[in-house]
Amino acid sequence: MTNWSMVVDLDKCVACQGCSIACRFENNTPVVSPEEAALGRSILWNDVLPMPINPTEDIGEYPHSRRRYLTRPCMHCENPPCVKVCPVQATYRDEEGIVRQNYDRCIGCRFCTVACPYGVRYFNWETPSWSPEMARHLSPERVVGQGSLEGPAVRPKGVVEKCTFCIHRLQKARARAESEEREFRAEEYTPACVQTCTAKARFFGDMDDVTATASILASSPRAFRVLEDVGTHPKVIYLQEG
Amino acid sequence: MPKKNQPLSRREFLKLSAGVIGATATMGMARGLLTSLEAEEGETYLLQTSTHEEIIPTVCLMCPSGCGMLARVVDGNVVKLEGSPMHPINLGALCPKGQAAPELLYNPDRLAGPLRRVGERGSGEWEPISWSQAIEQVAEKLNGLRDAGHPERAALLYGETRGQMRKFFERFMAAVGSPNTISHDSLNIEAAKLGTLFTQGVYELPNYDLENASYVLSFGANLLEAGRVPERMVAGYSYMRRGRAERGKIVHIDPRQGVTGAKADEWIPIKPGTDAALILAIANVIIKTGQFDSDFVRNYSFGFEDFDDNGRNAVGFKSYVLANFDPRQAENITGVPATTISRIAGEFAGNPPAVAIMPGKGGLLSGNLNGLATAMAINCLNALVGSLEAPGGVLTQRYMPCPDWPDLPSDSIAEAGREAERVDGAGSFFPLGKHAYQAVADRIIEEKTYPVEVLMLYDANPVYEAPGGERFIQAFDKIPFIVSFSTFEDETAQYADLILPEPTFLERWQDDHIEGLGYPGVGLRQPVIEPLLDTMNTGDFLIEVAHAMHAPVSEAFPWEDYKSLLQDRLVDVGTDWETLQELGLWLTPGYRFSRRGNPRWIDEVIGRDRKLSPRDGYFDFYSRELSCLVADLDGDAREAMGAQVSGDAFFLPHYEPVNYEGDEAEFPYMLNVVTLMSLGPYSVAANLPTLQEISGMVVGERWGSWVELNHDLGHELGFEDKDQVWVESPFGKLKTKLRLVEGMRPDVINIPHNQGHKAIGRWAKDRGVNGLEIMNPASEPFTGLASFTNTRVKIYKA
Repeated sequence: MTNWSMVVDLDKCVACQGCSIACRFENNTPVVSPEEAALGRSILWNDVLPMPINPTEDIGEYPHSRRRYLTRPCMHCENPPCVKVCPVQATYRDEEGIVRQNYDRCIGCRFCTVACPYGVRYFNWETPSWSPEMARHLSPERVVGQGSLEGPAVRPKGVVEKCTFCIHRLQKARARAESEEREFRAEEYTPACVQTCTAKARFFGDMDDVTATASILASSPRAFRVLEDVGTHPKVIYLQEG
Repeated sequence: MPKKNQPLSRREFLKLSAGVIGATATMGMARGLLTSLEAEEGETYLLQTSTHEEIIPTVCLMCPSGCGMLARVVDGNVVKLEGSPMHPINLGALCPKGQAAPELLYNPDRLAGPLRRVGERGSGEWEPISWSQAIEQVAEKLNGLRDAGHPERAALLYGETRGQMRKFFERFMAAVGSPNTISHDSLNIEAAKLGTLFTQGVYELPNYDLENASYVLSFGANLLEAGRVPERMVAGYSYMRRGRAERGKIVHIDPRQGVTGAKADEWIPIKPGTDAALILAIANVIIKTGQFDSDFVRNYSFGFEDFDDNGRNAVGFKSYVLANFDPRQAENITGVPATTISRIAGEFAGNPPAVAIMPGKGGLLSGNLNGLATAMAINCLNALVGSLEAPGGVLTQRYMPCPDWPDLPSDSIAEAGREAERVDGAGSFFPLGKHAYQAVADRIIEEKTYPVEVLMLYDANPVYEAPGGERFIQAFDKIPFIVSFSTFEDETAQYADLILPEPTFLERWQDDHIEGLGYPGVGLRQPVIEPLLDTMNTGDFLIEVAHAMHAPVSEAFPWEDYKSLLQDRLVDVGTDWETLQELGLWLTPGYRFSRRGNPRWIDEVIGRDRKLSPRDGYFDFYSRELSCLVADLDGDAREAMGAQVSGDAFFLPHYEPVNYEGDEAEFPYMLNVVTLMSLGPYSVAANLPTLQEISGMVVGERWGSWVELNHDLGHELGFEDKDQVWVESPFGKLKTKLRLVEGMRPDVINIPHNQGHKAIGRWAKDRGVNGLEIMNPASEPFTGLASFTNTRVKIYKA
């Protein structure tokens, strides 16, 4: 079975935020109002954050201070705390290692948004809306099945949504391979953030395949995981700068 | 585990099948979908509801990178943009501005069709007109000017445009009979281009082979956020760091750390405006220690050693730099310790290939004459270590071959008009200038030349983007007829008499040359969908205006429309139009380095664009072109114009202290307006809600402006982070939010660019502040460059 995971080389990443916006247009996340955004309610599944988040706490003193930037998708943990707290089993980890969300089941209790140590679960405080013109750029794809309405289809108010590793792209790649009557190859599946990465800093692949670029990089001495000590076993692996 | 949901209803199934049949042609996945519908319980499958899907290549225009794009068009809607993997600038990647471009296309604030003003100027009262009325009216105005014998009274201001469009505008205005085709380059890239012309002899921005460089010195070149071609720089940076066996080193020299300083190996906060002194001190150490490329200096350069100038001993680069720029002297000027300067000089000369990068836009290259001198100094530093036309060094941009434009018809009115002085004073009042965009306002208000009677604005929003742009509103009072081609009702279009909206870049034909890699290439911008609104490509419009005018202007454009003009112009690029359209680009990849001294070196690399001095293949440490251009001005005259060095130093790269506007005691900080990766340089990007939402990532802000001040200094002065403050300069004041940051020189404050709009649309309007409003609106007297970074400010609690 495949075990999808991502590697981000922070030495290459230039914090351009291409990933954030590629994700928005791929997955139809709504723009929230400036007031909501000020309350931290922006829905950017892959946000880019200055580290530490409060700029007055920069590491080091002028002129030796050094700001860092972290691009942060869902970590698709092997031991995801969000799954444990969900009272209705709306969120679950599928057999390929992707932590998914069933919007039909979600009751909007937001336990998971609190439980997630990475803050990558987003609650729809308002009904997502676009003007009639703007609605034309919405991706028409939907994924049905276990996670009904999962994927780009617009979510209703009151549910939690999150990064899916662009699971509809996986479905599409599989369907294409099947239609061409050949084996599906892991390289055919690339999430939108990996595809658009300006610095080619992101790698995606099957961690169980020792020959995959992502799994080779994951064993680099520069590799680390964010908040590894809380026992979530994140599957997004970062490579240190320098 | 949750149970699988109810399978598809019959109705949905049919809908899906219909969709799949349509999609078969492009996606070839019908079988797959149907198969997966019969999948085992617990599996997931994709429901595709589209009937028709296409992928169409085009070229982005959200910044000057010119990245290749693939538009995914589903049922006639652009749902996603991806980078084109074939395009050498972005190699399949796309930055947030490019990704957000569907919000530009589908922006609800776009103008739906041509408008004529009915109320007072600026009142916002318009009536819709037809395109034929618009063509007739513009043609009539231009005919009127020609009939009166004053075709020079027409002027065209344009912003960012590359490819055939620049030459097309020049041709149109030349055919009418006006020399006034004025680019906004004087606000940003002109200093770098002039600096390269006066040394290397090519009127271009230098390109850098970052992929192969071992050591990079970035002088205020914010290459990872807002270089000239940021996408190209990021790709080069990424490869240099981790794409090859040896990781290259970057040193960023800039008062603000920003993303580039944070990602660099070393950040040197230099006193603003003193980069030239640092560069020359580095050159001093390199010369003293003999680490320069002696073959290049001895055989392919002019003015390194002292030389005989008609019996007078002229001072050369070497003796000038040795006498004036000892690292200890430079330490006092720049605030960079002499030991650091010496170390960097050693690293730069000792780690070939090494390259020094100048900013493509703004930053330290505006100010006063210092900007030009700094650009010259950076070129000389690269030449000194032999990095010119060398792997890992500086590349010179080459172009695709194009046929010559047909001769303009013989026309005595136009010929007389073209000889007139330019309204911006470039080439006359500003003897070294090619364009002086921001100077147009003052020169019209003060009636320095003849009156302007017809003003056209293409991608030009001077009221917002020129320092002290409000003066343009005053100048407009003296212009009876103003036409804007803006897609939105922007700050400038508000005061126009006609707004003739151009479609967005996703709906029009245009070409763009591939800039940044040196080798020739052309990208083709094509409509990915039918234009949504009643808009017209400005190229088409001007061709129709020309046709509607009296002969001989009507004969100057033997093309039916702009697309056929492009087909005609791009005939020699090496492929046919169909291939160009299918791929969205064509190029001759691989940079061919010219050997020193061979014919291509002389024709293409050194001296190609020199007009007055010899094209002899010698790089000028002592600028002969510059000395020819100011031959009429003796030392005293130059001093009267503000030059701070006398004699030979003026023609050498030198350091000129910046003349700040504002007394240091009253206004202790220097104001710097920085361009961000998120909002970029173009006004319209501010009306994209997605970009507004991510705009202030560097400090964790969204939807608004802030001012950055050094953290310790802020606390010393009694400020708290996120206080509301006034930022006041001698030219005005602004109220915004204060953010205290560590990565910042204590004598500089930053305001991000592209907020504080007074128009454009619902998301841009009345949000944050525009730092350019309080910057010095003056122009540098020699070059006509906007000299706005010499503004001092004070800051106090609101």
